[in-house]
Amino acid sequence: MKRLSILSILFAFISSFALAAEVNVFSARHYDSDIQLYEKFTAATGIKVNVVSGKDKALQKRITEEDADCVGDLYITADAGRLGAFQAKGMLQRAGWSKAIKDSVSNNFRSAQWVGIAKRARIMYYSPERVSANDLNGMTYEGLSDPKWKGRVVIRKHNNIYNQSLVASLIKNNGKTATATWAKGVVANMARDSKGNDRAQILAVAAGEADIAVANTYYYALMLSGKKGAEQQAAAKKVMPFFPNQQDRGTHMNISGAGMLKHSPNKANAVKLVEFLLTKEAQEHIVNNTFEYPMIAGVSPNALVPGADLSFKQDLKTSVKSYGTKQADAIEMMKAAGWK
Amino acid sequence: MFKKFNIWYTSSFIISFIVAIPILTVFTSFFEDTSNYFEILKQTFLAEYIFNSFILLIGVLLLTFIIGTGCAYLVSFYQFPGVNFFKWALILSFAVPPYIYAYSLTAFFENYGTAFTILKHLFGEANYNSSIPKFDGMFGAILSLSFSLFSYVYILTRASFYYQSQSLIDLGKNLGFSKTKSFFSIILPSARPAIVAGLSLVAMETLSDFGAVSFFGINTLTTGIYNAWTGFDDLAFANQLSFYLLIFILAIFILENYSRKKARYHSQTKGGFKQKEKTKLNKSNSFWAFAACFVVLFFSFIFPLSQMLYWTIIFPKNFFDLKIFDLFTNTIYLVLLSSSALIIFSFITNYGNRVSRSKLLNILTTFSISGYAIPGVILAVAFITFIAWFDNTVISFFELKSIKKLFIGSILGLVLVYFIRFYSLACNGIKSGYEKINRSIDESAYLIGYSKLKTFLNIHVSYLRNSILLIGMLISLEVVRELPITLILRPFNFETFATTAYIYASQDLLEAAAVPSLCLIMIASFFILLTSKYILRDNSE
Repeated sequence: MKRLSILSILFAFISSFALAAEVNVFSARHYDSDIQLYEKFTAATGIKVNVVSGKDKALQKRITEEDADCVGDLYITADAGRLGAFQAKGMLQRAGWSKAIKDSVSNNFRSAQWVGIAKRARIMYYSPERVSANDLNGMTYEGLSDPKWKGRVVIRKHNNIYNQSLVASLIKNNGKTATATWAKGVVANMARDSKGNDRAQILAVAAGEADIAVANTYYYALMLSGKKGAEQQAAAKKVMPFFPNQQDRGTHMNISGAGMLKHSPNKANAVKLVEFLLTKEAQEHIVNNTFEYPMIAGVSPNALVPGADLSFKQDLKTSVKSYGTKQADAIEMMKAAGWK
Repeated sequence: MFKKFNIWYTSSFIISFIVAIPILTVFTSFFEDTSNYFEILKQTFLAEYIFNSFILLIGVLLLTFIIGTGCAYLVSFYQFPGVNFFKWALILSFAVPPYIYAYSLTAFFENYGTAFTILKHLFGEANYNSSIPKFDGMFGAILSLSFSLFSYVYILTRASFYYQSQSLIDLGKNLGFSKTKSFFSIILPSARPAIVAGLSLVAMETLSDFGAVSFFGINTLTTGIYNAWTGFDDLAFANQLSFYLLIFILAIFILENYSRKKARYHSQTKGGFKQKEKTKLNKSNSFWAFAACFVVLFFSFIFPLSQMLYWTIIFPKNFFDLKIFDLFTNTIYLVLLSSSALIIFSFITNYGNRVSRSKLLNILTTFSISGYAIPGVILAVAFITFIAWFDNTVISFFELKSIKKLFIGSILGLVLVYFIRFYSLACNGIKSGYEKINRSIDESAYLIGYSKLKTFLNIHVSYLRNSILLIGMLISLEVVRELPITLILRPFNFETFATTAYIYASQDLLEAAAVPSLCLIMIASFFILLTSKYILRDNSE
């Protein structure tokens, strides 16, 4: 009886993959709003979207071990560093992105294997009471190691992918030796041992534990939106966002993106899903739910996001592809500098 | 006597072998050499992982010892208002897994968190952040694990206190010992085996914890193995770490087995059991005893529950957005499948052991139950590695259809790994029940012409009904709380309360994690309430 039921479940499960029109997504980006988008896609095209979400590394491991039997088509994750690293392991394939995709996403936010679907910037937040305009004049990521910030900086741990990608971009621009020295300087300036998520860094500045924090743009908007409660909304108003490196290459940009898995069985449907995610309708849905920046032109970010008018200078010179290639060096450098 | 081919023997052999596979995988892949990606840093990593695991272990053991034995002592030896309530209410902490405790702790104490809101409402606007203590990092992890795990020590110690012979305590009184002296020189030492057994369980859970530790960003051996294995594909380093972890765990395992044997010995010598008289406390002492128990109940259960309730109430949208019915059916589905599979197959192996009396099988069974000692996250990854290896070598050699889809990302695979992980729980439970059935009963049954199957069905199963119920509940409790295995192995479009809570939390949406966490706590509490009568067996014997 029992075995029978297991068998029947098994059949039900396997046969669910035999349906014709579908696309299988392994997602490390598990917003409910993404699921709503997939439902819209299904309604519009009749293609069913199957999702398994989880932490990146576990998903990647599962995809790698399943290898040729992996039914996944797309791997969707935040951060180009993760996509790049996964590509380096040979787990993605040339996707054959359609012209529509190539036209809407500029070259430095995509590769042949993966493509950005939304953008975010890693910026600084400061206390207007304790940091003067003069202090911030011409402020850069490089400037975080300046001794004038001693005991005033908060930033999360070295194992965080956003930090790894930021440091990778610094290695790409300034070289290994300079970045190693820089990392030591940043660690010396920290107000406390690194801990907590990006939002906790912003809160630390609001609470007076530190004067300047590094965090992604959407966290600040999330706090301002009131979705995290009235206290955090009030706390967010106590800090100001600042876009660094405006006088040189621009602010560090990153993406949420989708990679085409090596053994994708529904490649054409996967391309269709990505095309859909890059439509105006989908982009508007994304920017208003996750507070990221749109990937395509003609869509405005949510008004709560810092730099919502997109007037700040984005670093479009440093390709996000380098985040993956320089990742190992970045980790090693931070670790060697004693970055928690 | 000749051992002929025996269906019981064979099936229990196969089951034990399957359960032993992950441990074999960890050891055999020891010799595989992979990347030297972070060669230079490995030694620093290794030292850090061992150090952190050690500090975590010491902290949790110390706290659970104090809380667990303290509460057990109060409810066993004293009469004060609420004692009968606390006796079972204190086990409710089991319903709150360490990772959910960690979410509550962070939410309450973080800058501009719930504590801040409360202070603001009470005393008006001010910056309270610097005066609110921060329970994060290592300290947060120690607290989360301790308040969630102290019940192991509490339950076992309380049982041991309960069976402690009254004459021993009378002896202390006659010798003129003070309450404190008789606690430290008589009561505590004679409960030592039970305390050690409880602490060993705590130690195993602590070392294998993934959710709370990774939430607080602490690098322990378990998270280290996970990172080395999943992130860097560095099997060699992962195995090196696993090896250290297993040594830690093995030492604890041996200690636990040893003290359990002693505990059994101890309880058997008690001879004529005499109901202990509880000391009635005077008013002020009653208050302190009540307060102590209440504080523990508050911090271990009421606090996380209230934090989750508070969030659910102030962010009602999260409640309505969640597909609670789907999550509920998925969770219960897994519970039913795995507990019935575990109970049925544990019966078979135990019966096989009983009828065959084979040494080899006995050893294999002992070996296989150590699955509980392997952290879930490692078990899951080892399972995937094993299936992939088996598929790439054996299956493809015989040119058969690939089995990966059957086992990875399927309910079958998921339940199979639950099976491996919780097998010791089921197997030991049935075994201890079986030990109470005298073998002469079997022989009498055979004499009157019962077949083995009939003996099994008509005699053993009905004899063990209570054990089955208890084990079923315990397994259900574990499955409801289980996180890493479910997260790694679940099929497409399949979520449980645990995975949903975790996913929200990892997206920095702790308030959205409140609803699934709350549901999880409720279901787990329900199982605990159903079982409490068996866990706190006083009146039945």
